Amino acid sequence: MKAFAAKMIELAEKNADKIAKQWAKDVMTNTKTYSYHSASEEQIMSEAVRFYHQFRSIFFDEDPYGQAEEIFEKYADEKYNEGIPLHETMYATVLMRRHIWLYAEFQSMFVSEVEHRKAIEGLTRTILMFDYIMYVIARKYWKLMKLESHRQMMNQDQSAR
Amino acid sequence: MQGYGTKIIDLAESNAKVIAKQWAADVRKHKRTPSYHNLPEDQVIDQAIIFYMHFRQMFFTEKPFEAAKGFSIKYAEDRYKEKIPLQEALYALILIRRHLWLYAEFQAIFITTLEQRQATESLNRTILMFDYVCYQVTERYQELLSVDVDKRLGIIKSFTLEHPGWEQKSFFKTGMMFLMLIFAGALTYYYHAVVGTGAIFTHLFYIPIILAALWWKRAGVYVSLALGMLLLLSHAAFLDDVPFTENVVRAFMFLIIGTVLDRLMDGIRQVEGLYKQLTM
Repeated sequence: MKAFAAKMIELAEKNADKIAKQWAKDVMTNTKTYSYHSASEEQIMSEAVRFYHQFRSIFFDEDPYGQAEEIFEKYADEKYNEGIPLHETMYATVLMRRHIWLYAEFQSMFVSEVEHRKAIEGLTRTILMFDYIMYVIARKYWKLMKLESHRQMMNQDQSAR
Repeated sequence: MQGYGTKIIDLAESNAKVIAKQWAADVRKHKRTPSYHNLPEDQVIDQAIIFYMHFRQMFFTEKPFEAAKGFSIKYAEDRYKEKIPLQEALYALILIRRHLWLYAEFQAIFITTLEQRQATESLNRTILMFDYVCYQVTERYQELLSVDVDKRLGIIKSFTLEHPGWEQKSFFKTGMMFLMLIFAGALTYYYHAVVGTGAIFTHLFYIPIILAALWWKRAGVYVSLALGMLLLLSHAAFLDDVPFTENVVRAFMFLIIGTVLDRLMDGIRQVEGLYKQLTM
């Protein structure tokens, strides 16, 4: 599976700019990622380029969940501070995954029967990584939202005293 | 589309209970779903059965996003009521998908080349549906959270007169405040100049101070400052033989109450703004 996955990851890394551009175009017009519509293309693109470069480290790590946690807690923190709603951040991440796949299909990476079998395995592994990513992002956002309201309450308590 | 998905759908429907049971066993001990650990097994199993029974309807529709809504909203509302954190509700969903797939692999329903191709397509379609469901569940959770925050702030909001469509009330608020300040001035004049006493009529001054803090930023401080000044100036002008101390303390209390209320309202506005921004 690793050989196939390597092929796909290599494709994503090598063509990070192109895939990121297609993703940015999508996310800037998609009705489910409304908050991205007014952002600048370069800013959005750099986010995806960074993601596609980091994806290898998660994919091949012995502990992919730990790696996802390390990278995507920071990512969630950034998005939260930019004021992007959680469902949009998650959908934009889903679109990042879809665009790797779309690009791979477009490049006709999976033609033969063996390649098709490997495609399923690669797809399953990619989805597993994204499952972890989604969980980490949702958990971080939820934590930040709770922390924020707690901090506000503390401020109120202090000023009341 | 109907062709390739039939196998997996049939499998999900005819084995809904078995797959749901395996899923329940997993979710009730998984480290990423701790809130499920103490839930009764039957209650947990039902969640997955409902999904597997809706699967066909979501899978074969032309508009999967719309078709998924009914299930997603109900799922989010039920989990929210059960106080399951969002990330756990989402992970439980992910496990519902994984268990379906595991069961399909275990039953070896995709063996030949054609079946393998069908498997890729089924997997892609299943993932697309789950992407939609996760999006809708997250969105609904945030809406519910926002409603919860609004409800908790309900009493304050009814005093702030900030309900949607009440924008015209700003004129009403200014007018009310103006009248209250005139009344406070008249009351001060009456007690100090006519009756010649520093009687405790100043308790009434807290009404405009509280309302000003609720209605406008920093206004609580300004109104308390204005009323404090009014009290002290009036005292200086009309009450020659009454000591200043009591009114100085009163004016000082106005200022403290106005400032505290202003800070409290600032905090409430920030929390409200945060939830609005992150949930709309």
